[in-house]
Order: sequence, then C-alpha cells, then structure tokens
Amino acid sequence: MAEEEIKSGGLRGLLTAVRDVFYGMASHDMTRYAVRTRASMEHLFILITMGDLLGVPILPPYYSLRLLPYVVPQIATWKRRMLREKDLTDAMA
Amino acid sequence: MSLKETFLQNPDRRYIMFGGKGGLGKTTFSAATAYWLAKRGHRVLVFSVDPQASLSDIFQQDIFGKGPIAIAENLWAQEIDADTHIKAYQGEIRQKILDMYGFDQVPEEIENYIAAASAEPAMEESAIFDAVVDIVVEGKYDYYIYDLVPLGHALYYLSMAKVYDEWITRITKLREEMREYEKVANVMKRQKELEEDQILNELQYIKNRIGASSKILTDKLKTAFFFVVVPEEMIILDTRKAAELFARFDVPIAGYVVNRVLPEELAQQDLPDYLKNRMLMQKKYLADIDRTLGEGVLARVPELERDVTGLPMIEKLANIMYGEV
Repeated sequence: MAEEEIKSGGLRGLLTAVRDVFYGMASHDMTRYAVRTRASMEHLFILITMGDLLGVPILPPYYSLRLLPYVVPQIATWKRRMLREKDLTDAMA
Repeated sequence: MSLKETFLQNPDRRYIMFGGKGGLGKTTFSAATAYWLAKRGHRVLVFSVDPQASLSDIFQQDIFGKGPIAIAENLWAQEIDADTHIKAYQGEIRQKILDMYGFDQVPEEIENYIAAASAEPAMEESAIFDAVVDIVVEGKYDYYIYDLVPLGHALYYLSMAKVYDEWITRITKLREEMREYEKVANVMKRQKELEEDQILNELQYIKNRIGASSKILTDKLKTAFFFVVVPEEMIILDTRKAAELFARFDVPIAGYVVNRVLPEELAQQDLPDYLKNRMLMQKKYLADIDRTLGEGVLARVPELERDVTGLPMIEKLANIMYGEV
C-alpha cells in the first residue's frame, strides 16, 4: 500500500487516509460484531454436529464424523466456552 | 397383471425391492428375480442391507463383505459388511486429521469421540445406508435388487433418508449464514480473498449423497417395491399397515407376491385332518388377500418341496414366479 501511495501522489494517499479514518469510525465495530457473531455461530455449529463430545447426542454420528477433521483446532475453545458457567445468551451479546 | 408383465411394461425400472415381515421369503424372491432378469440378458446386482444377510446361504457361497461376487452370467451378489465399512471409514477420518494438521497421532479427545460415535446404534445402519449409496451411485448395473431387512427396519431405513435430508438441509443453511457474516466482515475489512469453506463443501457432498438415495427410494419410474405376504391373518394385517406407512414415505408400491400357498392338487388327495384344516384356512385368507389387495397381487408362489438354496432351486422358483414353465 505504501508504494501505491508514493506512486499515485497526494490525492490518492489522502483518499486512502480518509477511507481508513471512516472505516475506524463507522465500520470497525460492525466488523467486530460480524466476526464475533461468526465465532458464536461456529460454536453453535460444532455443538450441533459434534454434540456427542459433551454428551449431547445429536443425529447422526456417521456423517458428523466427516466434518470432524475440520473442527479439530476449534474443539478445545469450543468446549471451554460451552462448559463455563454462563448463560449461552451472554455469549451472543 | 403378472409379475412378468410389470417388468416388461416398465422398462425404466432399475431398483427392485422386496419387503415384508421376517422369514416370508424376501431373500428368496430377490434371488429368483435377480436370476430371471440376468437370464434375460440384463446385468443384475442383488445386494443385502441386512446385517444378518442370507444371500450367502441361498447362493451357497460365502460372499459376506467381499464386494460384488459373480454368481452366474450377468448376475452378481453382494452382502455389505457394516463393521468393515465403519472401520475403513474411521481410518479415513483419522488419516485426514493427521494429514491436515501434521500430527503424529490423533489427539486423545478426538480419538475418544471417534470411538464413541462408532458405538452408537445408528452407526451401523448409517454405514450400510452409505455403502448402498456407493453401490447405486456407481451405476454399473442395469438392475439393483435390494434384499431388504424386515419391515420395521426397512421403514427405519427409508425414513433415514428423509431425516438426514432435513438435518443436513438445516445445518447447511446455518453454515451458509455463517458464510454471510464472514463475507460482511471481509468486505468491511476490504480483504478480497475469502478462504473456501471446506465444511460447507463437505455438507454439500453429504447432501447430494442423501438426496440421490432419497430420490431413488421415491422414484415412481425407476423404483418398484414389492411386498411379500403369506396367507395368514397376522401377516396380512401387518402388511396392510406397513403398506400405508410406506405410501406415506412416497415409496412406490408396485404390488404383492403371495408366498407359501399350498398346492391345489393336494386337495384331491386323501389328506389328514391337520393338513385339510390348514388348506381351508389358507383358502379363507387367500380370498381375503384377493379382496383387499385385489389387482395388486401379482403372483402366487406355492410352498415348494424343499428349501430354495442353490442355483437349480432358484431357477425353478424364478420360472414359477415369472411363469416361464
């Protein structure tokens, strides 16, 4: 990006700076919200497909095994979050 | 209409199923039908979805878990071994985890989950279901004859496609919603590239497979479901109930085959009272069957003088069923 700014001179650089400021003011929160919602849904998704891991059997085990490899890294955080003493809705807020 | 005519008039038929209570002759009829179709020059696979399959017994050859085995010209038989299928599948999942993350071994927690999931009772049925999808999707044969499990289980098997379909549709939707949030975040952060969602791909793959199976089971052109009945009160009642349930799952019921009919010629002979009474009873229930199932009855198969095992007996039965005497 820096190279671009030098090449295109003042106006483009200014434009980028303004855009970044607006992003910070307006969109950053929304982005955070979207990312957090996405993370919550990820955990909900794992609960639905891998519920057995917590002792909540949700159909059907054969096909949920197919998804298992993709959620391996998330299992630890997901379990921590599901099992801590808090209402699930807290997490959605 | 005769059984033979239903086949001749429906040349698009590819999936043939015989259902009924246990021990009425589903496997025997499956084998005889497969034999007859193969004799007419079609490539036929008869396979069993029953964990206690008896195709091995009827063909007098151990075919359990060995894949499709050639029995005669144009005729193959297969018994699915759910256990082996599950073990191979578990192995694939483990390998995938090792490859994806470069682990030396599968983490204990994950390993426990794999073991626990496989111990569930639904696992075996699901594995067989999946193996059947494999077989029919490949499409190597002209006819597929399903030697089904007894009624209750068969219903479970049929409903499984529906339940899975709903389950998978819902979670696919959830996954797609997640994707939307990810996209929004990406647009706002002005990142152009969004990683491909492997899970969504997997879900769509599963959905397609279940959909394929579901479609076959309810395809009026390609699928025919025959009920096997015998002239006995309980069996007739149960079959009628089952037929209603099957119809509710949109399974195309093509007709009924009556088995174990005592041969008419017997009546001319001097019979002991015991047999005379049984014949009278059968007459009554045969009339019942004709009255309630009417046109649906496609064949009456007599009680044969011995078990149907081995190709010569199968051929004999096929000739009786399909009227090629």
